[in-house]
Amino acid sequence: MAPVLVLWLAMSLSGTWAVDKGNFKTCDQSAFCKRQRALKPGDSPYRALLETMELTNTRLTLQLINDNNKVRLLLELYRLQGNMTRVKINELKPLKPRFEVPDVLITEPSTEPLSLLSQDENGVVLSLGTESQRVIISARPFRLDIMEGPEVLMSLNSRGLLAFEHLRMRKDTSLLIHILAQWMISIFKEEEEKVDGMWEETFKSHSDSKPNGPSAISLDFSLPGVEHVYGIPEHADTLRLKTTDNGDPYRLYNLDVFQYELYNPMALYGAVPVMLAHKAQRTTGIFWLNAAETWVDISSNTAGKVCSSETPQTDVRWISESGIIDVFIMLGPTPKDVFSQYASLTGTQSFPPLAAVGYHQCRWNYNDQEDVASVDAGFDEHDIPYDYIWLDIEHTDGKRYFTWDSHKFASPKEMLQALEDKKRKMVAIVDPHIKVDSNYKIHNEIRNKGFYIKNKDGGDYEGWCWPGSAGYPDFTRPDMRAWWASMFAYDQYEGTAENLYTWNDMNEPSVFNGPEVTMHKDAVHGAWEHRDVHNLYGLYVQMATAEGQIQRSGGVERPFVLTRAFFAGSQRYGAVWTGDNAAEWDHLKVSIPMCLSLGLVGISFCGADVGGFFKSPSTELLVRWYQTGAYQPFFRAHAHLDTPRREPWLFGPENTALIRDVVRQRYTLLPYWYQQFYHAYRTGEPIMRPLWVEYPQDPATFALDDEFLIGKDLLVHPVTEEGARGVTAYLPGKDQVWFDVHTFQKHNGAQSLYIPVTMSSIPVFQRGGSIIPRKMRVRRSSSCMTHDPYTLYVALNLQRTAEGELYIDDGHTFNYEKKEFIHRRLSFAKNMLSSVNLATDAEFSTGSWIERIVILGASKPSKVTLKTADGQESQLEFDFDASMSVLTLRKPGVNAGLDWNVMLQ
Amino acid sequence: MHFHMIIVAVFWFGFVDSRKIRGISSSYKRFFRERKSFLCIDGSKIIPFEQVNDDYCDCEDGSDEPGTSACPQGRFYCTNLGFRPHYIPSSRVNDGICDCCDASDEYNSHAHCQNACWNLGQRERAYVEGQMRTLDEGLQLKQQLIEEGVLLWREKQAQLRELQQVAEDLQTKLEERRSRKQEADRLKEQTPRPPEAGDGRLFRGQNSTVTGTFKLLDSNKDGSITVDEVQAKVALVHDEERVLSEDEAVALLGGDHQMDLTTFQHTLWDILTNGGRVKIKDTHGAPGVGEDPPLKVADREWEATNLKKVEEAYDTVNMEISDLREKLAIDYGPDWEFLFLNSQCYKLKVYERWGMWEGPPKNQYGRMVYENGEPCWQGGSRSTTVTLTCGTETALRSVKEPSKCQYIMDFQTPVACQPVLKQRGIHSEL
Repeated sequence: MAPVLVLWLAMSLSGTWAVDKGNFKTCDQSAFCKRQRALKPGDSPYRALLETMELTNTRLTLQLINDNNKVRLLLELYRLQGNMTRVKINELKPLKPRFEVPDVLITEPSTEPLSLLSQDENGVVLSLGTESQRVIISARPFRLDIMEGPEVLMSLNSRGLLAFEHLRMRKDTSLLIHILAQWMISIFKEEEEKVDGMWEETFKSHSDSKPNGPSAISLDFSLPGVEHVYGIPEHADTLRLKTTDNGDPYRLYNLDVFQYELYNPMALYGAVPVMLAHKAQRTTGIFWLNAAETWVDISSNTAGKVCSSETPQTDVRWISESGIIDVFIMLGPTPKDVFSQYASLTGTQSFPPLAAVGYHQCRWNYNDQEDVASVDAGFDEHDIPYDYIWLDIEHTDGKRYFTWDSHKFASPKEMLQALEDKKRKMVAIVDPHIKVDSNYKIHNEIRNKGFYIKNKDGGDYEGWCWPGSAGYPDFTRPDMRAWWASMFAYDQYEGTAENLYTWNDMNEPSVFNGPEVTMHKDAVHGAWEHRDVHNLYGLYVQMATAEGQIQRSGGVERPFVLTRAFFAGSQRYGAVWTGDNAAEWDHLKVSIPMCLSLGLVGISFCGADVGGFFKSPSTELLVRWYQTGAYQPFFRAHAHLDTPRREPWLFGPENTALIRDVVRQRYTLLPYWYQQFYHAYRTGEPIMRPLWVEYPQDPATFALDDEFLIGKDLLVHPVTEEGARGVTAYLPGKDQVWFDVHTFQKHNGAQSLYIPVTMSSIPVFQRGGSIIPRKMRVRRSSSCMTHDPYTLYVALNLQRTAEGELYIDDGHTFNYEKKEFIHRRLSFAKNMLSSVNLATDAEFSTGSWIERIVILGASKPSKVTLKTADGQESQLEFDFDASMSVLTLRKPGVNAGLDWNVMLQ
Repeated sequence: MHFHMIIVAVFWFGFVDSRKIRGISSSYKRFFRERKSFLCIDGSKIIPFEQVNDDYCDCEDGSDEPGTSACPQGRFYCTNLGFRPHYIPSSRVNDGICDCCDASDEYNSHAHCQNACWNLGQRERAYVEGQMRTLDEGLQLKQQLIEEGVLLWREKQAQLRELQQVAEDLQTKLEERRSRKQEADRLKEQTPRPPEAGDGRLFRGQNSTVTGTFKLLDSNKDGSITVDEVQAKVALVHDEERVLSEDEAVALLGGDHQMDLTTFQHTLWDILTNGGRVKIKDTHGAPGVGEDPPLKVADREWEATNLKKVEEAYDTVNMEISDLREKLAIDYGPDWEFLFLNSQCYKLKVYERWGMWEGPPKNQYGRMVYENGEPCWQGGSRSTTVTLTCGTETALRSVKEPSKCQYIMDFQTPVACQPVLKQRGIHSEL
């Protein structure tokens, strides 16, 4: 939602429309980045002290020494279950502990045995488990190579960029007696250190006191054979990451960037330090577990070269401001292996309530209860379904979260009940900045409990945000989070009910008057500086909020919480959106790579503000955005306070019809979407995924980011060009066929297909060989459709087979964890479609039945026989469209939870 | 659900004769007469009659499933005895939400719907009665306002006509003045301008000739200037109020009591043009002077002032006319019933300009739009849409700002009362 007021004023004066880059640091302006980037590849000063090696069954430790300053580091190496290797490097004896990121890993990862293969004075060779994988530790200089057979999968410190700024005493604070002794030396040292910004740094008017001095870390990774790397969101950039040799590295530092610019490596609201590297034979991943400000450099020996005889190689380098090196190397080999490896570390996408997969109507702001009621009525009048209506900051009493404006929202419970009567829900915003106001209960409690983040001098940190002066609760504290969660109880958060959910905005955290619009790095979270935990803050806010929602229902109901800031692991707590975008065609386009990048690193529940947040979209852009958003996981329209209204029916009957149509398409596909969410929850695979994930050997797919797959069976190529008359979609798979879901026209795979489009077109294709369940009776909200029957779309492949699944549960509780669901495999082979139970230990009953079966690419049968579980046979009526080879079976009528089969003869 | 369907099926087979087709109005019954087959209402397909309302959509137009949710384009008829019957989209049948007040849409759902039609009907009747009272009263008031409007309209029209007459008169006068001024200008050009000294003072900047001045002084037009005539028309430069004494007049006449043109040219003319002591009196507005047609001794400045005054008067009148015309050009409704609102202020502190009536075709005067108001922060200008509703008094009921700087007002006034509403009345079903 939120722009930055201060900057906003500056913007309106300057009259331009783009991010003010001067408000955000370049690498050169970030002292540690500049220092680290000044190091060039070459011989590493680090040497492995092989004599210090200790090898237990699961863990290898080894000391490294920097020959320049003699500081020793401790290397730990683990083989983790599921084909992963973890490398940790910390100071052997740090002056004080260095920060290690808690709460991101779901458990301490399980290890597998390591064994020594060989050892000499040059190094050590270890076997990584049962496969032919080995780690070679070279001693001088220190270097790690991970091999499989003769192939090097990844090398660490091969370019000698390992750097570890050890903690040190500040010279001018040394004991008095040392001052004289060290005077001569220190005077030179200090000069140098001041220049480097090691003990103090200023940016614009903000000063960072850096009481711990320099603490940056860095390590390089070489990826032989790799030309495509992805991930490290959040950036408004292409799916395939670019080389950074001629500019800044990609930056990971959660920031509230006002009117962000596209196609550059600037940091945005969230950070997931995970990179995927892909080549036709293998996909690997690097998870750099560090929550401090981080920069990632990418270079490639083939970038920009048309033809190169060299073996392609991509080199990446990670630089973080503090903490330790703790890196998980995920060795694939397939994309799905990497997803499951990463999921085993940080968990999977939370399984949302079904309603959250529907359409969300948001605006800054729906002004009052009457406004809410009239927008709600508008949806019914125009027969457009929706599930959630959203309230932005203006609903509160003076931006005091957990309260309601007593004039505009005098009876919130009545309002919620009115929505509940139509089986609809609401989301109200709760931001983490708390108004400093002694008459505000939340503030008083946080202050009295000492829960606020402290400034460097020990007082409560205060910054400016929506309410004016605000405090920022220390969400890194478990007791603070528990208290926060308890505030969502119905008796604490007055005026709330079961159908009210939450939106966490501004949780980077956004501090209007802070450096780079965020918190001072020398603010204090207990033993740690904000510097150490910055990128974790948003994750904790959403974690505590989701926990509050779970608790208020006694652990029964699934939460739904949207967040703007995120970190590795945020997928466990809800949805994210791409922040304050703009009503521009390029913003529509970039929503695809932005969400694809998030999906690759586990965060599947992603969407962009439909219509664009800032500015006002043309009608064409708005319609196209609805068409695109309807096929992205999180589907919410949102608009800035200053823009004119844009509810779907305000653009004339034709456009209302176009929007209605595509929102209804979304609702017919809810069973498929929901099944994808269940799958993502179970496996960690992205819902919205790049084509290369399913076609890893087809280089034509590697850089595609204007089209995508939902699951593996639907391919979507949204129209994102103004005035488009057609789009060219790449349909992958050599022996694959694809069916246009609107016309049922069949197309062969592995071709670029030109598709003429009109305003009503949203090119979507179903993969031959798949079965997709839909509910064709679109109603007011998803909950109204619970008991509705299914239509199965069976798209035959060239072998005349197809497979699909059907997942059904109650749609809103955690009972699926208690095996209360239906999960069936649908398969078509040898002219028989059958439904068999995939989860025999699960139990659930549904009123839904099979209404219709549509078989694409079929031939005309003479007879169709339905056989139910009790052995009863009956003939089904059918209709055959010879022009498109579509066979429609009329009303099998069997319950969707039972065994049955249909025979075509 | 499945069980229920079986029960329904059994019920059907048992009571075929008395079977009612769910979800249709009586006017549609003819399409659903019991036969072996059913023809989709759009004529596109024939299906067995058992497939009517069997919860599967067979007809493109949805006509075979009036009583279920099976067809995407279908509609369900709520009979709503005791209240108003109406259609709902098929998607609202058995969705767990009570839509028909007779509960007929939720015949197979978990919703517990009560028949609320009687209560709703009661309420509706009370409401409609209230509305009717308001309407009656409103219409009476409206009639008054129409009458007042008509009177006001006529008054304004008369005013316009008057003003137009005045304008015409002024125009005639203006033309006359202009030609005179031209004449004066011409005369001035013929006579070389005397030396600049005193020119302005003596002749008030107007060109004049010897003959002209002589004629001006010779009030009785007998060809000679007398003492009386000098006393009447000539004054001291420094004291215009004081009438010259006889001696002074005689002195000006060169010691004589009268003077002809020839003498004048050599004596008094010289004094008048060069002396700076005496001047021709300001005869502006003096009776008879204005009508004096052939201005032989014209006061040029005086003519210009005169012209300017007439021009100003003419402009003012024309401005009033265009003002009035502009006001009268506004659409005040067919009976000028909205005329009384002109220049009335119903407070809102944003200044906008009247745009136009913008109601739907049926009720064009139901909505008015004001545009191009004060600039809005962050661009654009303020605009207001006023919805007019029938009421017994004229007042602003509510103001909303759905988007920034776009206002919606609810304005109540008797003139918005429409007799049409009354004719619609209460439905026979009530």
